[in-house]
This record gives sequence, C-alpha cells and structure tokens, in this order.
Amino acid sequence: MASAGFTKMAAAGIKLHPACRVRQEGFGLLFYDLRGPRLLFAETGSLLAPEYFESIRSKDDLPAGLTEQQTNVLKKFIVKLLERGFLREQ
Amino acid sequence: MSNRFVEQGLRSPVNLTWEVTLACNLRCRHCLSSSAEPAANELSTAEALALVEEMYQEGVFQINFGGGEPFMRPDFMQIIDACHNRGIMTCISTNGTLFTPELVESLSRTDMMAIQVSLDGATKETCEAIRGKGTYDTAIKALELLAVSPIATSINTVLTTDNAHEIQGLQDLANQLGVTLRISRFRPAGRGADNWEELRPTASQLLTFSEWLAENENIRTGDSFFSLTSQERQGLGLNLCGAAKLTCCVSPTGLVYPCAFLQSDRFEAGDLRKKNFKEIWDNSEIFESLRGLRIHSCEDCKRFDQCHGGCPAVAYYLKDDIAGGDPECLERCVTSIVDETETAA
Repeated sequence: MASAGFTKMAAAGIKLHPACRVRQEGFGLLFYDLRGPRLLFAETGSLLAPEYFESIRSKDDLPAGLTEQQTNVLKKFIVKLLERGFLREQ
Repeated sequence: MSNRFVEQGLRSPVNLTWEVTLACNLRCRHCLSSSAEPAANELSTAEALALVEEMYQEGVFQINFGGGEPFMRPDFMQIIDACHNRGIMTCISTNGTLFTPELVESLSRTDMMAIQVSLDGATKETCEAIRGKGTYDTAIKALELLAVSPIATSINTVLTTDNAHEIQGLQDLANQLGVTLRISRFRPAGRGADNWEELRPTASQLLTFSEWLAENENIRTGDSFFSLTSQERQGLGLNLCGAAKLTCCVSPTGLVYPCAFLQSDRFEAGDLRKKNFKEIWDNSEIFESLRGLRIHSCEDCKRFDQCHGGCPAVAYYLKDDIAGGDPECLERCVTSIVDETETAA
C-alpha cells in the first residue's frame, strides 16, 4: 500500500535491505551497509525522506509534486540502490 | 568515499566505538587501552542505556563495542539488546574466552550483530606469545561455536612483526572455520606503546602485506590500513582518517575522543556526564580541529589522494605531531626500504 503523499504505480516491491540503514543529512541521504561496511552519499536534498525506504513500495512509487526531471533522476537512483544492494526486491 | 560530504560535517557519527569496560581477563601485549581492571566510575547501566537512546536519536547506524573484554561487563547483554531494539547495528570485539553455547544461542536472536574474535597468529605459539597462554584454543572454540550460528563472525588479527608471516595461514584458518578474516593495524597506544618497538611490523613486512591485501579484496581491515591501500583496493573503503568526521570513541567512563587510539587528556572532546553527545559532536574544539586537519607535508605526495596523510594518531605518537603525516604510509615504507638498500650498498 502506498503511503499518503505518494503516487502508486505497478511494479515490484522494494525495501531497504535489512543490513542497511539510511538517514537524512544536509546534502541528502546517507546510506550505510553493515556488510561492508560501506557508505553511499546521495545528493538528494529533501526530495526523498529516509522513511520512504522503510516500507515495501513499488520502484515507481515516488513522492507527488516532483518535476519530470526529478522523477527521472530518482528512478535511476533507486535502480542504482537496488544494483548496489542497499535496497532489495520483495 | 566522498570526502566532500565528509568534510562538510555529518550530523552525527556513522558509527561509534564504545569501550564499555577496561576489565579484561587477558593482558595482551599490543592492547591499545592497557585493559586489566575495570576503570573507576565506569558508566552505570542507566547511563549506558541513556547513551544508547541518545545514539538512536542522533541516527548513529552502528556501535562497535570493545574494551576491555565487553562480556566482562555484567549488563553487556542488556546494552546490546537496547541497541538492537532501537535498530542500531552492533559489532563486538571479544577475546572469546567467555563464550559458551548458551551465550552464542542468546546472541543469535538478532541479525543486527557481527562479532570479531581476536586471534593473533595462525599457530598457537605465535598467538600466545602476544595474547597469553591458553588464548589460542579458547578463541578457536569460540570461533567454532560462532561459525555454526547465524552471527556474522570474523577473526580479528592485529598485524605485528611476529605474525606478519602467518597472515595467509590466518586466512586459510578462517576459510577452514567458515568465518572471515579482518586485519587491524597495530598502533602505539596503551600497552601497544610500551611494546611498540618489539611488535611493530617492519617496512618490508608492511609492503608485503599491502601487496597481499591487494590480491585479497575480501579481507576486511576496518579501514585501518588506508595509508597502505594499493590501487587495487581503492574504492573499497576510506581514503582518509574518519576520526571526528565519521566516527568517534566513548571511554568506559563516558569521555568522548576522536578515536580509540587518541584517548588522552589532550584529545578529550567532552564528558557525557557533563554534556550530551550532540553538544560534544557539534561543538568540541578538538573535533573541529581534526575536521579541519590538513597534512600539508604530504600534499605533494603522488599518493596523497589515496590516504590524505594517513593516520594522525600514529603521527602523533611517533612524531609528536598530529599533522606530521603517517610515518608508516606506503610511500614512506618504500622510501625506507630504498634507503636501507642504498646504505647496504
């Protein structure tokens, strides 16, 4: 189920990997993976809140009110997070 | 690693090293904190649990517990349970002497923990020369118990001149046990300072180790060897010191330091019994100075981008100059060996 304020579109469910954590920093999101450990600094500003990754949601389920460019950037970013193992499909 | 983001300052550490007690049942020659008896006035259970809560509020991802032997502290399970209940991941450095099947079963209830068991040689003789009699067998027993549990387990070895020739043997042993190998840097702190000249690896051993690391990308180093990082390992970890930027250290009595190797009055950033952690992290002068530390003497080095001057703690202890550049970096090891060769010729 999509959270309030998000537009749900059909796609596989994604969630933060259990070995990973994310928090808000001034530049955007900071991801941490215990398995490395390794870090990922994402210059996302305030476009995505850490809470976005806490529940299972569609890959295309992005916050409402984004520009087309922002949507495209965030979609690519989520694919990158999946490829790097910070997110996993469920 | 993006230095730009690190240098502009994070809202809190990514991880915290917490020496929960100085009590230890061993007297290892390289111990960074000279552990033996508990420190006077160690944090109470209530104070420790309050610190866990504060770390949760500040968004700290992981707490690395050490000491001392953390399991010597009677309330240690309560402290780590509190971390896990708040989603904080933990990593425990232990000598393994207190491990029983019941303890491992109890620790296995979470998937948020990793354990490092100290073992300083692939052979009993080498390990016990550093850690004391009986330590090899007890560590192996702990590793065997952990290896069949779901807990992410590693052997943790401090590289010294005595065990440098056994690193491949330790890797083989780790593979045989079904655990991973982590190798840490020996630094001249605590009892390690007293035994520094006896135990420090030679420049030649460090170079050989650097080459071995390059061929063994699966070996963890806790980023303690970034000053020796070869091109092959670039991108696997840090290329600068993370003290006061990504991490810091809390002592058994609640004093906060930039890292476990800089626990002296000069580097005390604050006292958790007098200030909250956020206040110390944001406003400590010593943290500010480390965040702004530039190792100018290294800036012309061709490897500067790979280590940014290396470990300030080693520079401080060996050169009495925290900005003096790591005396054991890869470039200086090469220079040192060239000098020796020229002298011999």
